[in-house]
Amino acid sequence: MVALQTLIDGLILGGVFSLAAVGFSLIFGVLGIVNLTHGIFVVAGAYIALLLWSGLGLDPLVGIPVIMVVLFATGYVYQRTIIQWATERATVVASLLVTFGVALVMRNILQLIFSSDIRSISPSYSFVSFSLGDLRIDAVRVAGLTTSLVLLTVLTLFLSRTSFGRMIRATAQQPLAAGLSGINVPHVYGLTFALGAAFAGASGAVIGIVAPFSPATEAIWTLNAFVVVVLGGVGSPAGALLGGLLLGVINTMTAQYIGPSFTNATMFLVLVLMLLVRPQGLMGNAFGESR
Amino acid sequence: MAITRRQVLRTTGSGLIAAAAARYLPAGSAHAQAGAKTLVFGGSIPMSGASAETGQNVLFGYRAAIKKINEDLGGVKIGNETYKLDVKMFDDASDPSRATTLIQRQVDEGINYFLGSFGSNIVLPSCAITERARRPMVQAGAGSDLVFTQKRKYVFGVFPRASLQFETSADFLKSLTPAVKRVAFIYTNDAFSKFQAEGGKKALEDKGMSVADMIQLPAQVSDVSTVLSSIRANPPDVLICCVHDDAAILIARQMVSTGTNVNLLYQTLGPQTEAYRQALGNYANGVVTQAYWSEGAAFKGSYFGTAKDFADYYRKNFDRPLTYHMASGAACILAYVEAMKNAGSIAPEDVRDALAKLDFKCFYGHIRFTADGDGDPKLLGPLIVQNQSGKVEVVFPEEAAAAKAVYPVPSWKDRA
Repeated sequence: MVALQTLIDGLILGGVFSLAAVGFSLIFGVLGIVNLTHGIFVVAGAYIALLLWSGLGLDPLVGIPVIMVVLFATGYVYQRTIIQWATERATVVASLLVTFGVALVMRNILQLIFSSDIRSISPSYSFVSFSLGDLRIDAVRVAGLTTSLVLLTVLTLFLSRTSFGRMIRATAQQPLAAGLSGINVPHVYGLTFALGAAFAGASGAVIGIVAPFSPATEAIWTLNAFVVVVLGGVGSPAGALLGGLLLGVINTMTAQYIGPSFTNATMFLVLVLMLLVRPQGLMGNAFGESR
Repeated sequence: MAITRRQVLRTTGSGLIAAAAARYLPAGSAHAQAGAKTLVFGGSIPMSGASAETGQNVLFGYRAAIKKINEDLGGVKIGNETYKLDVKMFDDASDPSRATTLIQRQVDEGINYFLGSFGSNIVLPSCAITERARRPMVQAGAGSDLVFTQKRKYVFGVFPRASLQFETSADFLKSLTPAVKRVAFIYTNDAFSKFQAEGGKKALEDKGMSVADMIQLPAQVSDVSTVLSSIRANPPDVLICCVHDDAAILIARQMVSTGTNVNLLYQTLGPQTEAYRQALGNYANGVVTQAYWSEGAAFKGSYFGTAKDFADYYRKNFDRPLTYHMASGAACILAYVEAMKNAGSIAPEDVRDALAKLDFKCFYGHIRFTADGDGDPKLLGPLIVQNQSGKVEVVFPEEAAAAKAVYPVPSWKDRA
């Protein structure tokens, strides 16, 4: 029973990790950019959810479409200006420094606007749990997991079934050929980045209801996303889901059977092993041999 | 007469040096500004990063004391001179390496008196620099034993060291009916929490209570569901969390949502903050914590008057919600000023010696340091407070108590 409870806790936690990482994975897979501003998008999503909830009484999960629209627009403008300038004038690697710098600036701006105090979002169902026999399941985390699964499914369908999804995949696989076929590659890069930012913002709404947050917590979510992508593979929602669930289960199993203080150590040990044994991640690169 | 290039450089250089000295000449050197001399206190504080909320609380305490002394009392007379006070605190972003850079720069610039940052991990490397420079530091943000047990002479704290902070708590738990038999600790792996939990375990065992579990979490916590499962499987009478603010909120929220009930939840940091009460709402009721000061306490002395007077003064002048950290920060400034008055000197070595001998009463309590520099545990130990019906009430020691402790507390669902 303890093992089952631990597994369920891990899967629920992993669902949140997955959603928080999928935007990072998509941007990494399509644009080849390690977006160190990712955690900022996550935390910004949490703050927008907090504003909607405290100002308009809008449930954070119901507010997700609004959050996604705001961050989609922000992400598009950010990619088409700062990141595009950096990658055109230098290399893709320059984006690493640029996104790191922007993350530092944005963290301070968030702090100026919202202060550095720790915030939480506590909707009516925040403290509800239900039992299945001896198993205890935290309702708010299940809501988070469900939201994650729904959004990841939507993204999968979007990438596989829509013409825009095909454009993204084509651009990721062969940018030159995509361009020759009439696809506006810089525009697709901008939209893909925007999509990644929108999903990061959506995960922020979920994270805001399950854990306290402040501008300083952005770094953790960038780091978690990086680990998830290394575990699961780059570019696909399925890879992010697998990586996230695996990370969640590793966390809880380590806490239960080795010791709670070893969770981070185990996480990074698995990360190093993965990079040594299967650097492309369990699901590999969703966009094949192009990179 | 022709002016040479060398003369121009010499004259310009001396002018620049004189201007820089007028701007930066610190503290004891007492630069004159329109007749008034100013004592400058330096240091770093988390205005951003993980410890920012509490760091800013301490900073507001520093500012409150400076404002009171400068504006209401017209400065402070030391020897034959009257001085105004100034504080130059920089944001260390809760980052020890940034803090040490800032502190070293201030030492190099000649700052003679330092105030503390918040967090033992930051104060530890910072105080190593001020100690080497023989400049005193009075701080309200580091309780780790490592700050006070390495034979430093210039570092003082207005709290007892972490391992001695549980004496009052042990007495409090011993006073509860029905008797507390089993206690579990959850603590994060950082320089403060670990010492506090280990000191707490010893204090409780000395009083005959059994410590069933010592559960160590990593310094950054994102989930405690597994830990709470094991707590539910074998619940202690009292669960004590030696963790920082964000982890305290996370643990309490997950306890509520998973229905993890214990007779008493005691969290050493977190419940004092506004963020905690906002996050938990009614569920914060019944949670016990430590407070090194309460506005209801019967402390009084010069400068602010009573504890209540300090609270009134603070609220009149500042918007940030009052916690005990503001009082602790203000107490650091008062300790410095009183030591300087006793010494009749502003020389750092004299101020250090006077701090070591300090024995004075104020709104914060009876300030006296041990030979190691931490607060005397008998005089400066924490009050035990409990959230009751949305208010923070002192419940122990009995002579300071404004309310009776609720124990056992109702289950979470009865607190909704």
